[in-house]
Amino acid sequence: MNKPVCEMATTISLEKLSTDLWELTLHSPVIAGMYRAGQFVHVRIGDSFQPFLRRPLSIGPPPIGTSSDNGVLRLIFAVKGEGTQLLTNTQVGDKVDLIGPLGQPFQIPSDLAGKHVVLIAGGIGIVPLLTLVKELPKEINRIFLLGVRSKSNLTVSRKEIDYRNIKLSSDDGSIGYRGNVIGLLKEQLKEISNEAILYACGPGVMMSALKEQCMELNIPLYVSLEVSMGCGVGACQSCAVPKADGSGYYLVCADGPVFDAESVELNPETLP
Amino acid sequence: MIDMTVQMGDVNLSTPLLTGSGTFGYGSEFESLIDYSMLGGIVTKSLSLEPRKGNPPPRICETGYGGILNSIGLANPGVDSFLTEKVPLLPITKTKVYISVVGNSVEDFVEVIHRLEDVKNIAGYELNVSCPNVRVGGLDIGGDKEAVSAIVKEVRQATERFISVKLTPNQPAIAPMAEAAQKSGADALTLTNTLIGMAIDAEKQKPLLGLGTGGYSGPPLKPVALAKVWQASQVVDIPIWASGGMVNGIDCIEFLLAGASALQLGSVLFADPFAPQRVLAEMRNYCERHEVSRISDLIGQLKQI
Repeated sequence: MNKPVCEMATTISLEKLSTDLWELTLHSPVIAGMYRAGQFVHVRIGDSFQPFLRRPLSIGPPPIGTSSDNGVLRLIFAVKGEGTQLLTNTQVGDKVDLIGPLGQPFQIPSDLAGKHVVLIAGGIGIVPLLTLVKELPKEINRIFLLGVRSKSNLTVSRKEIDYRNIKLSSDDGSIGYRGNVIGLLKEQLKEISNEAILYACGPGVMMSALKEQCMELNIPLYVSLEVSMGCGVGACQSCAVPKADGSGYYLVCADGPVFDAESVELNPETLP
Repeated sequence: MIDMTVQMGDVNLSTPLLTGSGTFGYGSEFESLIDYSMLGGIVTKSLSLEPRKGNPPPRICETGYGGILNSIGLANPGVDSFLTEKVPLLPITKTKVYISVVGNSVEDFVEVIHRLEDVKNIAGYELNVSCPNVRVGGLDIGGDKEAVSAIVKEVRQATERFISVKLTPNQPAIAPMAEAAQKSGADALTLTNTLIGMAIDAEKQKPLLGLGTGGYSGPPLKPVALAKVWQASQVVDIPIWASGGMVNGIDCIEFLLAGASALQLGSVLFADPFAPQRVLAEMRNYCERHEVSRISDLIGQLKQI
């Protein structure tokens, strides 16, 4: 895999998707030419050391209709605090300091024929899965599910939902299936007779419940995790998640962010 | 051309910049992002006799005003795995390598050093007697002058290599500890480790770190570290490696004036892996403005008000 680089990306656009969600597209030809689905960039917020740490953001695919060949990276972020709030001030043409691509990408098994690939996202967790769907072989059976709180919290455009054939659930029933995305998954699984493989990204509560469900049904599950991070390259060991066997910790930045769910402890208390 | 070299025992460092232990792994993690020629040397993540898993997450958080807290808990593979897995990755051909050593007892320190003595091309050791995130039977080694003296004396017997002793800022007076370390055979002091701190999420009514408290670093630590460097420099004549919140060349110059001979860049590397070249350029610029031809001429040159 290619080694990460520091790249000063140029802002192409910044668009508000919903109340607290933003889509930042950047011209970042070096990183765009290297990344794989599941990897992330470590984004510096301004240059004043306030806030001090970079923010790890999943790399999304270029917007529909463009290709990664033209050097475009798409980042989608939720405003959660000081850093992401400052990022919303980015103007077209502004430079954004990135380190990437970082982390281990999704592994795509070569024997997907005859299997059902299920992508299951909670909220903003859709970003790495949008990238993954582009890397999956075209001819396979796939289902793409997205759970959101309500219609007004869609983490991706209607256009993309239609284009990618994404099925929706909402907690309040304002769009798609009423209930959480795991309820929707159960509905979908009823209609699948062949073997399934799941890729997921979402809040800790969802991932934890999903793991339980998948272990019960004996379905392989790969999860992409997000935690607070320091260096992003495996040096500082800040971004630890417990190994499922209790023997120690994995580092989300270097061993992940994508993990086989069986190998990690998914604690809804400590995962965001 | 400004002479940026500094002498550290028998070793000539090409620049006064080192990396701070715990922020730069074992020297290869940042490989594709860092220009090693800008560094005088690196200090590795602390190494213990037995492997340590480290502390339960969350292990890092921000505290505003540029400050961060960490609670890693000295996670490391232990000296035996280090010898087989990490030593081949050490950047010994690119820069000077100092290995940070930690232990629960005098014997631990000595045993780790014994096992490291055969590793070729190591410039020296940094003894971490001050991690705020680990306690031995409730005891903070770093605050115990007798314990620090005993560790340094025994390690001095075990190696001829350069030893820097990293002291804690979590004590009222640095001078007695600094003197004790020098008297026991230290070749240098590293000042300082992190301050004990805490952050709380008021909404969730929980601490932000898994163990509640952690080590406070980043720019807000700088005044504390400057004071420790300055106070220690009044009572010892061995070199001082400064560590504490520096993010730019002027910060580094301040530490030199206060009495430091080398400067450890730590947390700043998370934000800016280009910090070494930027900081060096800023230091050179300062030297030009002040007509200083050798960076080492600035050491301890603080004037009275």
